[in-house]
Order: sequence, then structure tokens, then C-alpha cells
Amino acid sequence: MKKQKLVSFLIHLCLIFMVMMTIAPFVWMLLSSFKTNAEINAIHPTLWPQNFTFDNYLKVQTQFHFMRYFANSLFVTVLITVLVGYTSTLGGFVLEKGRFRGRKLVFGLVLGTMMIPWFVTIIPKYSLMLKIGWIDMYSALVIPAAVSGFGIFMMKQSLTSLPDAMLQAARIDGASEWYVLHRIVFPMSRNAIASIVIFQFLWSWEDYLWPFLVMNSEGKQVLAVGLRLFNGRYSTDYGGLFAATAISIIPVVLIYIIFQKQFIDGLSSSSVKG
Amino acid sequence: MKQKSFPLRRFFTPTGVCLFLLILHYTLFLVLPMLIAFVGSFHDWNPLRGTFSFTGFSHYQRLLTNELFWSSLRNTLVFSFVVIAARMILGLVIASALFSGLTRAKNFFRAAFYMPVVTPLVAVSFVWLWLYNPQFGLVNQILGTQINWLYSKSLALPAVMTMTAWKDYGYAVVLYLAGLYTLPKDCYEAARMDGASSWVQFKKITLPLLKPMSLFIFITSLIAYLQAYIQILVMTNGGPGTSTYLSSYLIYDEAFMKYKFGYASAISFAMFLLIGLLTLLSFRVNQRGENA
Amino acid sequence: MKKTMGAVLLAAALLIAGCWGGDAGKTNLKHDSTAEKGLEILGANVQFDPNVLMNNGEPIEVEFWVWDAEEIFRGIADSFSEIYPNVSIKVVSQPWQDYWTKLPLALQNGTGPAMFCIHNSQHENLVNYLQPYDIALEDLKADFSGVEGHVIDGQVYYIDYGMMSGSIFYNKDMWAAAGLNDSDIPKTWDEFASVAQKLTRYDDDGRLIQAGFNYNKDVKSMIIGLNYQKGQMMFDEDLQTLAMDNSITAENFQFLIDLYEEQGVGSKDFGISDGESFGQGQSAMVYKWGWYYNQMLSNYPDVQFGVFAVPTPSRDVPVAYDRYNGESTLGISGTADEASQEVAQAFVRYFMSNDEAMKELCLRYSIFPAKKTLVNDEDVKAHPVMKALAPNVERLVWPGPFPGVIETQMQQIFEDVVFNEMSVEETLEKGNALIVEDMQGSDFVTTERQYKYAKEMNTTR
Repeated sequence: MKKQKLVSFLIHLCLIFMVMMTIAPFVWMLLSSFKTNAEINAIHPTLWPQNFTFDNYLKVQTQFHFMRYFANSLFVTVLITVLVGYTSTLGGFVLEKGRFRGRKLVFGLVLGTMMIPWFVTIIPKYSLMLKIGWIDMYSALVIPAAVSGFGIFMMKQSLTSLPDAMLQAARIDGASEWYVLHRIVFPMSRNAIASIVIFQFLWSWEDYLWPFLVMNSEGKQVLAVGLRLFNGRYSTDYGGLFAATAISIIPVVLIYIIFQKQFIDGLSSSSVKG
Repeated sequence: MKQKSFPLRRFFTPTGVCLFLLILHYTLFLVLPMLIAFVGSFHDWNPLRGTFSFTGFSHYQRLLTNELFWSSLRNTLVFSFVVIAARMILGLVIASALFSGLTRAKNFFRAAFYMPVVTPLVAVSFVWLWLYNPQFGLVNQILGTQINWLYSKSLALPAVMTMTAWKDYGYAVVLYLAGLYTLPKDCYEAARMDGASSWVQFKKITLPLLKPMSLFIFITSLIAYLQAYIQILVMTNGGPGTSTYLSSYLIYDEAFMKYKFGYASAISFAMFLLIGLLTLLSFRVNQRGENA
Repeated sequence: MKKTMGAVLLAAALLIAGCWGGDAGKTNLKHDSTAEKGLEILGANVQFDPNVLMNNGEPIEVEFWVWDAEEIFRGIADSFSEIYPNVSIKVVSQPWQDYWTKLPLALQNGTGPAMFCIHNSQHENLVNYLQPYDIALEDLKADFSGVEGHVIDGQVYYIDYGMMSGSIFYNKDMWAAAGLNDSDIPKTWDEFASVAQKLTRYDDDGRLIQAGFNYNKDVKSMIIGLNYQKGQMMFDEDLQTLAMDNSITAENFQFLIDLYEEQGVGSKDFGISDGESFGQGQSAMVYKWGWYYNQMLSNYPDVQFGVFAVPTPSRDVPVAYDRYNGESTLGISGTADEASQEVAQAFVRYFMSNDEAMKELCLRYSIFPAKKTLVNDEDVKAHPVMKALAPNVERLVWPGPFPGVIETQMQQIFEDVVFNEMSVEETLEKGNALIVEDMQGSDFVTTERQYKYAKEMNTTR
């Protein structure tokens, strides 16, 4: 019994150490954002702010259009995520439960698309956006991202466990394929959809290069790009940079903390069958 | 009339719509761009000067003899495999610790470890850029050193790798934990009856059963890390000199700083081949392991 | 329950986002119906006549991209809008590095700004998308010097409004604390090194706490000037092939490295950005170009600093003091619609004929004005950087608008030498070959051999 207590103590010690390592950068940045520039740049640095100041945040308020960037990011990301959630379920359903020739081939191709790196297609994709006049429009961000090979793959995997008999029964009752998809497959795959949503949300949220290239107006720009623009412009004002970075992270972390149970449950309950 | 509307109605099924969508989407945003890029890789292609003239295999020849291409490739492979290893080992160890019946406050730990995963990479890259500052950064304060991390020949790449592992290991923790919960309990019962130690149980039961999960994490990480560039863009710009150039940063540099679209496309295709090969290889290795 | 809440929150967020996306800040522009405003015509030869209608008086909004000095350009734009109430100019500022990724692409696809700031290192990426000035060449030549170099097929796409060069900035408080006074201003590099040593401070543990001289991050702009001082040309006789792989460049690299490693006046690991470190009061001297003066004033108003001319190898007059660069006027988009181009052309005229605006910009960047009416301006003459540079102006060399890749590569070479411990000669040779390869197909031709004292310089590698 004693030995078990010791082991438990050690495990907790290690875990707490890891937690500290994990959140230390956030804490340090947050603390630094309340320091004056002189204190940040000092030869002998401090950890805790000596002169607690809110100036950095007040300064940033007018220069960093945080709310605008954040709202834009949220709008684009949510739209993409919803679309991907739907197309993935549709694709997974058709490729797992559909009965048509070449099904395996199509699935193989979809899998193959996951291996195509962004840099192979980004240049021509950019020219394409030019040709169809989508530069500086959200459609350039949303439409090309609306189908995800990864999402279809995850969905197909998870639907293997959905018994065919259940769908068959509905069909015999005269349900159309759409009904089966919307009323049976969707509700039954809630967890798998949730995990796709989580992945997709993250990927769209932190996407940098594509929005940077296709969006021109500052008012339409997304958060990741806005943050880098801000950093480029005020590169000598460290206090301001810390504050801007902090406010670009805090809402994300807050959203995560609020929804973390759904977040992690969704992730845990789907993905790969052990 | 009826005959005319029939094919349309048959088309408007999930299968029809799905296939139509897939074909349209992949043709427009994948196949077509890939074809253009492939053709472009054989051309001297500068969109700003309006040049698009055939040069044959010269880009590929140049690439094979270009030192920077090979050093970036080496960096990319080192970067990817070390970070993947760190991510998977840390992920597995911590997930096992969390899974253990001896651990409390599991949700808290799980949430904390996952936090860096949800913060945008651009933002955390900036945070770590400052953490590594030789004068006011936290890393030197804690270690009591005066190292110029991101300008050091031997430490710059490891520093970026550390940051990446820090950001991403939580993902492996959560996935492994999910895998652990799905493991059949009776196997362990039987093993315990036979008097197997926890270590033996872990080695003989847990690890093999987690293999599909490991493969999943490995492949998704591989694909992601072979394409990583944001860390480099924000933290080192490939420096000092060219010692932290990763292949995808090289592509970014050639394409969007120098506007050498043709050459950048050639590197892209070389990298595409490599990613495909490595992915197939890891499936193969996994299969052989299963058959043995 | 929780799910519903999540959905509601999400929907609310979407709604907010939607609203946010919607309110594009359209200013309510008036219709302009009076062409005859009774305003004075500006300028001597390049003239701006305000008494016309822009875009037939219809409201129009154009974009104007800048990478710095936003408030100066906004001021000019605002006073332009005062003359033409139907014209609104949106000044968009992008940081330097991103500016050159976005601007050429945006111009190419016609979504770019109607007018924008140009740096001549980007000439080749932009020139295809520029519209020539509709100002007569004779008028330009009458008002500005150095127009000839910008004439392409009888037209100009931009000219220089002045020349910028480098000088040494020093921290006055540190100077005094080290017991130095005005007579200690170094004339030669040897004197400079000993002054730098006096300005360097270590703490009790032998840790550097104040660098006498810091050149981290800006070796690229220094090395070419050092070469010119020793009479070394940048380019081969064909005027196109870079020739930096020579013993003089290696010698100068070694000189800079020795300042740190032998004389200990600074460190590659102390103050990783020279400009910042000087501003933070941790480095006593830096070599910087004219733009830095105002950067210091606005970012670090508390630092007391002075400026002196770059030292030279000996007390004799050198073959050249440094390199200079012509700073470009505005570019007009060749891909914008006609109405926007009309506004841009008028705006450029307004800018070029407006002495006040031109002067403000020259003072901001410590630039010797190319505009003849400003050459003897008292404010310009009194500017500290100009004062330091003025005696040497005759002996500054202009290599021409060489592509930006040269500076980037020079910095990489330097980093390879000091951080990656590679040999100077080998790195220079490789780096030079890389630049030559990168510049293949470039139309660039150097103007360095048109330098007045070019005969005194080495003309071969």
C-alpha cells in the first residue's frame, strides 16, 4: 500500500512538472505583457512585473484590430468547419455504405489526396483564384477547403461500426437515401463528426499562408495573418507585441476551456479503432 | 417528359451528389493545379515577368546538385522524425500515467496538456521566439545560460523542434488515452492471473494493441511535419545562414520571395514523391509487423 | 442541454462575425461640381493644377500602399482630398517584408492599389505593372536631378526624390560616461576601434553588458560601403555579374569579425538586432542608414544620440566614403482602372510639385533632396545626419537599383561565417555564385562605373 502511494506521488509530481512546462510560456508572456518596455529589455530580466502597467493593452487596442480579425477568423473557420462536417459525413457514408463499382478506387484516391502537400498546389490554386476573380473574397478561403480527404477517411472508418441492418430496415420502410443519411447516419455519428470538427477548426483557425496570399483588405484579414502583420509593423515595441499576442491567444484558450469536455470526448471517442 | 427527368432524379441521390462534388472539387482544386504545377516545373516560370518558357529537366537537374535543397531535406527529415518520436513517446508515457488508476484530476491534466494544441501556431511561434531571446528570454533565465539559441549553428534547429514538440504532444496524449480506454479489459485480467508484471503487460499487451493508433498518429504527424514552415518563417527565417531551412520553407522562399514558380514547383514534386514513398513505406512496415 | 448552449453560442458568434464583416467603412463622399476652385497652381516646372474635376466629379475611392511613414503620406492624402472632396484615398500600411510579397502579386492581378511606395531593389518585380508618369521629361529634369537614370524608352515610371546613405549613430550619455568628448569622434577605423573599446562594458562575471559597437543584422548594408572605401567595385566589367568574391571583401568581413572577437567591442550574441539594441541603450554605436534617425526619435525618444560620418581606412581622402541609394518616388499601377489611374497621376503631380511634402519626407529619412528647390533648404542642411554626410556627398557611389537578393544573400554569408563557423573565402565564393545564379535573366546594369572618381578605383576583380 505504501509503495502504491509513493508511486502515485511520483506520477503526480511528473505530471505537475509537465503541466508547468506546458503552461510556463503562456504565463511568462502574460506577465511580460504587463511590464514596461524598459523592464522587458533589461539586462537583468525580471519574472514578476515590477511596475504593473496596462499601457500595452491600451496601446494595442487602437492599433491591433483584434475584434475584427477574431470575428473574421471565427466566421471563416466556422463556415469551413460546418461544410467539412457535412461533406465528410456524406463522403464517408457513400464510400462505406454505397454500392457502386469503383467505390474502392474512389476511396483510394481520396486517401491519396491527403498526401498532397500544400506547396504542390498552392501556386496554381492562386492563379486559379485570380482567373475566377475570388481574390480578396471569403469564397477563396472557404470553397477550396470545403472537402477534406482526412474527414472522409475518418468518417468512413467510424461508419464501419454502424450496422447495415439498421439502414436496411429504414430502407424497407420506404426511407429515401437522403432520409437515411440525415436522420440515421448523422445522429449516429455525432462523436465522429465532433472530432472532425475539432481537427478542422484548428487547421482552419491557424492557417496562415493561404489567407495571407488571397486576402488583400486589412478589414477582411484573419487573426493569424493579422498577428504577423502587427508583429512586423511594431517589431520594436515588445510590450505591445506581448499584449497583442496574449489577446490573440486568450479567447482561443477560453473557448477551449469552456468546451474542453466536448472537445476531448469527441476526439477520444472516434478516430481509430484500437 | 418522364424519361427526361428520370436520370436527374437518379443523380440526385447521396451517391450521385457526393461523386459529383468529389470530382468537381478535386478536379478544380487538386488535379488541375497539380497538372499546372507539374507542367510548370519544366518551365522557367515567373508570373511577375510573365515568363513561361520550356527548360526541360533543368530545374530537376539543378535541384539534384543544389546544396541547399539537400541540406533542407536533411533538416526536414531530422525535424520530422525527432519531433514525431518526441511527440509519440511523450504522448504514450503521459497517456499511460493518466490512464493509471493511481492518478487523480485526470480531466485537469488532460486539459492542460492539450492547451498548446489549440493555440495558433503563428502566435506560439512568436511566444517562443521571445522565450529564446538571449537577453530577456525565459529559457536562459531558467537555465542560467547566455545562449543565443536561434542563432546557434547546432542549437537553432533543436530549439525550433523543441517548440514544435511542446505545441503538439498533447494531441498524442489525448489520442493515446482514447486508445487506452478502448482496450479489452479481459486481456489484462488473464495476464495478471499469469503473474505478468505491469511492465510486461505494457510491452506484451498495451503496445501491440495500440499499434493502429500509433500508426495513425505517425502518419498524420509525418504528413504534417514534412510540410512545416511557419515556425521557421516566424522564428529563424532559415538562419543562421541557411542552417534551419526546411524543404517547405525553401519552397516558400523560392516561390513567394524570388517568384521562381518553376523551380519551386520542381522542389514541390520532389517532396510530394518523398511524402508518398514514406507513407507507403510506413504502411508496409506496419503490415509486415502484423504478419510476423 | 450543453449542446444546445454550444449551438446558441456558435450561432451568436456567427451573427456577430457576419455583422462585423458587413460594415465596410465607406466614407460619405461628396459629388464635386466646381472645377474652378480658384486655387493656386503648384510647382515651377512639374506643375499641379487643382482647378479641374477628378473623375468628372463623381465619388471615387483609391488605395495607396506604404510600408512606413504612414502619417506623412496620410497627411498628403488628406490635403489632396481637401482639394477634391469626391476623392478618398485609403492609406494602407504593410510591414516591409510582407509588402514585397503582396504588392507585386496584387498588382499583377489588378486588385492592387492605384499608387504605392517603391523601393528600387524591387524594380524588376514591379516594372511590368507600372504606368509611366504623364509628366513631361523636360519638366522633371528641370526640377529634379538624376532623372536620366530612370528613363526607359523615353518615359519614367518613378524617379528619385533624394539619396540616402549610412553614418555612425552614437549614444551621447555613454559617450560622456566613458570620458569621451567631441574631439574623440573617430576619423579612421583604428580610432573607431579604440573608441569602441572605451565604450564597451563588462560586469564582474565578465559578461558583456554594453557593446561599444553593434552591427548584428545589418552587415549587409555595411560591407559594400567598406569595399568602396578600398576602391573595390561590386560588379564585373560586364556591369552585370556580381563580383564580391575577392580578397578585399574577405578582408572587410574579417575586420568586422575581429572587432567582436579580437577587440571584444561587441558580440554576435549580444543585442541580436543592432538597431533595437542601440535603442534599448545597450549598444553605444551602430552603423545605420538615414531612415534610422526618425525611427530612433519615434521609438526611443529617451535616448540621447548623435551622428558622425563613417570612418575611413586612413586620414587621407578615400576613393569613396560609402554607397548611397536613390530613394524612389511613388509608383502608379498599370493594372488599375482608368479612373483610379487618373487620380493617381494627379496625386503624383501633387506630391512632386509640393515642396513641403517632399521636404517632410526627406527630413524623415535623412535624405538629400533631388529636388533642386530643396537643395539649399535650411532645415535640410541643419539635419544632424545631413550635416555628417554633407562633406562626403561628392564621394558616395551609387551601384544602381540592384535586386534585393544581394543584400539578403550578403547577410546569409555573414551568418554562415560568424555563426556557422565557415571560412570567409569559401562562403564568399559560394554566396557570390548563388547570387549570380539568382540574377540570371535579370536586366540589371550597374551604374557604379559612372561614379565621378571611378578611375581611382580597382576596375578588375
